[in-house]
Amino acid sequence: MSPTEQERPRLKIAGALDLAPSPESCPVGVPEHIGHFIGGQKVPGREEDRYDNLDPSTGKVLNTVSTANESEVDRAVKAARAALQGPWGKMSGLERGKYLYRIARRMQERGRELAAAETRDNGKPIRETRDFDIPTAAHHFFYYAGWADKLDYALAGRKGRPVGVCGQVIPWNFPLLMASWKLAPALAAGNTCVLKPSETTPLTAALLADILLEVDLPPGVINFVNGFGQTGAAVLGHPDVDKVAFTGSTPVGRAIMRSIAGSGKSATMELGGKGAQIIYADAAIDQAVEGIINGIFFNQGHVCCAGSRLLVEESIAEEVLEKLKLRVQALRIGAPLDKNTDIGAINSKKQLDTVNRYLEIGASEAAEVWQGCANDPPAEGYWVKPTLLIGVSQTDRVVREEIFGPVLSVLTFRTPEEAVKKANDSEYGLACGVWSEKTSRLFETAHALNAGVVWANGYNLFDPSSPFGGVRHSGFGREGGVHGLHPYLRLEA
Amino acid sequence: MRLAVQKTLKMYLGGKFIRSESGRVLPTTASDGTLMNVCRASRKDLRDAVGNNRSSLGGWAGRTAYNRGQILYRLAEMLEGRASALPIEPALAEQAIDRVVHHAGWADKISATLSTLNPVASAYVNYSMVRPMGVVVSFPDPRDGLLGLVEATCQILVMGNTGTLIVPLDLAELAVAYTEALHTSDLPGGAINVLTGDIVELLPVANIHDDIDAIVVSGGAVSDEQWAEAQREGAQVLRRMIRFAGASVPSGPDAFAKLCEVKTVWMSAGAEIPAGGSAY
Repeated sequence: MSPTEQERPRLKIAGALDLAPSPESCPVGVPEHIGHFIGGQKVPGREEDRYDNLDPSTGKVLNTVSTANESEVDRAVKAARAALQGPWGKMSGLERGKYLYRIARRMQERGRELAAAETRDNGKPIRETRDFDIPTAAHHFFYYAGWADKLDYALAGRKGRPVGVCGQVIPWNFPLLMASWKLAPALAAGNTCVLKPSETTPLTAALLADILLEVDLPPGVINFVNGFGQTGAAVLGHPDVDKVAFTGSTPVGRAIMRSIAGSGKSATMELGGKGAQIIYADAAIDQAVEGIINGIFFNQGHVCCAGSRLLVEESIAEEVLEKLKLRVQALRIGAPLDKNTDIGAINSKKQLDTVNRYLEIGASEAAEVWQGCANDPPAEGYWVKPTLLIGVSQTDRVVREEIFGPVLSVLTFRTPEEAVKKANDSEYGLACGVWSEKTSRLFETAHALNAGVVWANGYNLFDPSSPFGGVRHSGFGREGGVHGLHPYLRLEA
Repeated sequence: MRLAVQKTLKMYLGGKFIRSESGRVLPTTASDGTLMNVCRASRKDLRDAVGNNRSSLGGWAGRTAYNRGQILYRLAEMLEGRASALPIEPALAEQAIDRVVHHAGWADKISATLSTLNPVASAYVNYSMVRPMGVVVSFPDPRDGLLGLVEATCQILVMGNTGTLIVPLDLAELAVAYTEALHTSDLPGGAINVLTGDIVELLPVANIHDDIDAIVVSGGAVSDEQWAEAQREGAQVLRRMIRFAGASVPSGPDAFAKLCEVKTVWMSAGAEIPAGGSAY
């Protein structure tokens, strides 16, 4: 079954959508090669096993990147241990916090550069990196900076000390933001870190290393090693790593938990999701439609908590779908550096293949596969048009499995009980959304949903002060808020 | 001379005293020297127990914290009345009873110590509250005796979880006496089930069950090797695998925090609903 698509010029503003490309140039320099950052030194890494890092919006080579082997990882862990036993471990909380404040400020100052770099490396629209990724990343450092000298107040009367050397592996969907989520609380609590960025998005971590040098962070407090899964496994499996933190897919999370069994390492796992958006008939429909779009098409749907299951009350399903389709047809897909772009590139060929595979599955499962956007995607690069899978059922794979792309499965319900039951019928439990203008219904539904985060009349909202994390197969541990500090502290006996 | 009436030792499941479905028993000598046949729980008993815990979860978690606290306090009352009948030193019984009183007070306070109101930079009331983790299977340290049993019970119940305690056969007489107190404490059936059995046999069995949210092992209930293997197996379903040092120190907020999930709600509190990340 081939996807249906309505004719585009239905929109009155259709003529206004033919915009000239907004970026005339991109003055942000991208280093030709990215190595590692170990013990306060930027090192080029080994000559062997280097790979090409691609710009996903063109498919062309952006730069080359080294892969760290076990001995390079070992050097990074040793540097982190030395920093822990050295200046960083002896430093007062206030002084530690001042470093975090410095980092936050530098990130804000270099925000434009970081946003442009992130967009080139990741393929996500500049509007998102500029307005969300980078400001929120800086906000995380700013937030946790203030905790560094207040740890005694974070543990319900108990005293904590740093866990030690933290091994952290992050994904490609929010590269700098995920790095901040991991690094800021770890440093505030007095730990040192070895972090591995995703192999497809190493650029902003490399720029962050420059910032760390600018702010004179003591050598070894933060180390970056680049590479693929093997490098990540070496980081997390290193015997001198005390704590592991991972954000990524549930299958990899399971494998990591197996690998550290019996080691005594503590772990935080932020894994996959299949978020449900419940739209009640008494919702503010136009706002809910915006929320649905933001829930699934934000960052091309490359969001672990994406609202990828739409549960809409039967009586308004037709109206919601009609408005949703109209709205999706106004989304512009293409050049990520263009300020008018809503939908950027899929991050990699690998992820494009995954999404396309699910689109094939969806074609056999859904009654209708609908795709739309305001313009055609560029010929080069990796693109998926915003997609609705209409007429699917609870047992379909596209309803149960995480697609991690701009693909929304549309289901309906008749009663609040049915909505909650369907939403909770998932092995995941990361985030859900609920839309209604009736307060009691919002509270009742929000509290009945089995998920770590629930947005009532909103979706994909993040704040450093707000804990984020899932239940069941979506992982454990929280990031953000005082709860995000706990995994990085060990209670004193 | 009157012939004494001997008690049949049964397990406690769903508010009822039952024998193992397998019919397996192990002859053991009771504290008064008589012979007793202890039930040896099977894989199916465990499945029944946790299934029963699951169906009882909504009822227990849905009670008010005040009510949960009162029921835990009544457990202390019931234990006090039976202290002389427990096959242990009175001092040990008193210690365990006082522990239950201590935990009864946590039921309506723990959420105030673990919840937060988060000052997000948008028009939302953002709060993080603690929710029960779900169904817990707990292996108390046999060396902790009754104190270990009440500690494991309260760890589960204070947060609104339901669960099954697995008690080794040589502690069965005590465990059975304890379940009689549980039974009369107004605790709804299925909130706590108690099985007697072989821990080495039942830990892996519990761990391959997909509908158990957390496994708790206390102190020396299992060896380090068994625990490592259990962690490996539990990783398959990302089960919460929790190990406590033992029952000598009462669980506080940090321990209870391991038996709950932090749930964060963003409740819209303004006319304007901002788009996440950025406006489309």
